[in-house]
Amino acid sequence: MRGSAWHIWGETSFRKFGIVAAFLALCVLISILCQLQVAAGEWSDNAFLTAANLLLILHQIAVNGILAVGMTFVIISGGIDLSVGSVLAFAGMVAASFATSAAGVTPWSGDYVIVVPLAAALLAGAACGAVNGWIIARFRIQAFVATLGMLLAARGFTMSLAEGNPISSLSDGLRWFGTGELLGVVPVPVVLFLAVFALAWIVLNRSIFGRYVYAVGGNEKSARTSGIKTARVKVLVYTLAGALAGLAGIILTAKTGSAQTGAGTSYELDAIAATVIGGTSLTGGVGRLSGTLFGALIIGVMNNGLDILGVESFYQLIIKGVIIVTAVIIDPSRKQAAI
Amino acid sequence: MLAAILAALATAGFADAAAAKKTRIAVLMYGNKAEFVQLMQRYGKTHPAVASGLADLTFYDGRYDASVQNDQAQLAINARYDAIIVNPMDFEANIPVVTKARAAHIPVIVTNARLNSEDMDSEIVSNDVLGGYLEAKAVLAKLRCKGNVVIIEGPIGGSGEIQRGQGNDKALAECPKGAVRVLERKTANWSRAEALDLMQNWLSKHHGAINGVIGQNDEMALGAIEAIKAAGLNVKSFAIAGIDGVTDALGAVKAGEMTSILQDARAQMQGSIDLALRAARGPGYRPLSPIWNQYAPLGLKWNDGRSKHYYVPWTVVTKDNVDALLRDRR
Repeated sequence: MRGSAWHIWGETSFRKFGIVAAFLALCVLISILCQLQVAAGEWSDNAFLTAANLLLILHQIAVNGILAVGMTFVIISGGIDLSVGSVLAFAGMVAASFATSAAGVTPWSGDYVIVVPLAAALLAGAACGAVNGWIIARFRIQAFVATLGMLLAARGFTMSLAEGNPISSLSDGLRWFGTGELLGVVPVPVVLFLAVFALAWIVLNRSIFGRYVYAVGGNEKSARTSGIKTARVKVLVYTLAGALAGLAGIILTAKTGSAQTGAGTSYELDAIAATVIGGTSLTGGVGRLSGTLFGALIIGVMNNGLDILGVESFYQLIIKGVIIVTAVIIDPSRKQAAI
Repeated sequence: MLAAILAALATAGFADAAAAKKTRIAVLMYGNKAEFVQLMQRYGKTHPAVASGLADLTFYDGRYDASVQNDQAQLAINARYDAIIVNPMDFEANIPVVTKARAAHIPVIVTNARLNSEDMDSEIVSNDVLGGYLEAKAVLAKLRCKGNVVIIEGPIGGSGEIQRGQGNDKALAECPKGAVRVLERKTANWSRAEALDLMQNWLSKHHGAINGVIGQNDEMALGAIEAIKAAGLNVKSFAIAGIDGVTDALGAVKAGEMTSILQDARAQMQGSIDLALRAARGPGYRPLSPIWNQYAPLGLKWNDGRSKHYYVPWTVVTKDNVDALLRDRR
């Protein structure tokens, strides 16, 4: 059985090794290029391989990393979620409307105790995800179509909340989730990302639910005949992805200090890219969260490194496209992932 | 004699009918996710002619796609609107809005962003080259033409990026040669979140070397401010400017963190409505928006609504005039 957890376990040491090697190679390449520029006198000292810059990269990938964790569950279960960028914006707008001193932006807006905006945003995200999962499972609609509908609808909800306006003047309590630091050094988004990753890893690799997710994505029919309630697994998977999009929305809103109607546009593509670079197969049943972590890191290092190297934005897009496709081509377990 | 009386009666009757008839105006906005567009829509609804029922506005959301906007123009023409106001997505790709409306003999007014055409009835915009010049001047004045700046650009190839960039360059060229260095120049696509990441990366690279930030819009300047704060640096030790005058930027001006060059959404929107009404209702129409009196001393003349180009002056927002502008946003 292709989707069996033990079978995958044997194959993936290769994959894990491959992606770590690719990540390290990228880091080495960028720091060499930086060193060459410094040697040529273009700027003073090589800032790329400093602790501060590496922490900055983690800070910058937190939002995409959290989305990608949800996306990994969804893709392993054999689906796709195109709505996470819009759901992120919706949840961010909900959070902001409960944590603003600009009164009257929504009927219920105001500065509430911090648990209110947090809970409301997570619930909003989870609700969008649950609707996705319910539609996919109940009406047997392709995930691509169902979540495409949510991509549009959630963007519309976002705009309708404050009649298309951004919501700013956010409370310090909410801002802390984007700009705060633990122990004076580690940014809160980094802590949240690592916590989400650790919990998700345990759920996916050490719980029965996790095994069901692989089973549903590997072969839905045999999963159902072996007694797994596949519809329930799907609803839960999309609800999880929605809730994580909600958390990402909280972080992005808190980071920028404003909930904006256009926030998160096309973030779903970066989340899918991180997942796919990390070796998760779009056909379902195969994938690892640690791969996704390195997938998100590769995208983050690339964005940071190309900015530092001063690469023009159009070349940056080309390089990003090439790396995504190359990562999948050189993935040692690709043959196994193909049908 | 009889003919003259008949003609007079006919004209009077026509004028009466025109006065009683509502003028239906289709307003094609390039998108509606930006605060500036929201402001324009709000000021459109408060135009005296709209409030009194003389004019009726229908807003279309172009969804940031020039071809969607061209289709919506066709829709408005088929629905026999009396006039079309367009806030175009693209300098070139939206020219069909004007040519189609012209062919259907429907007046068309361009507002906010320019179109590379002279076929419209009128356009009412702010000169982006001047806007880019003014914001760069504000940054360079604070730096006294000495130090290192970074420029955060709009979407590459868009008329905003090109023209504001020309203005930026013009101001930079007025400093003594070699006195100001542009360390970095890159796009953040008008987005606060993108500018935040970009500025963080630049701060990581250049440590204490960056003195000024020229953001080609306010959102990106605000993103740079968040990056500076996140790096634990003092925002007030930087010279920062943006363009548009969005509400958050006015807040940042009030806090002494930046200068914003206000693009007057009210003057552009309400002015375009008056121009559309003039074109649709004929020579008898007198403009109703207060903006014409407000800007007349600064050189924006009504000229019976017959000019091709109207340029709404920019307002440099500083601590001195920010409070009045903030009050207006409530």
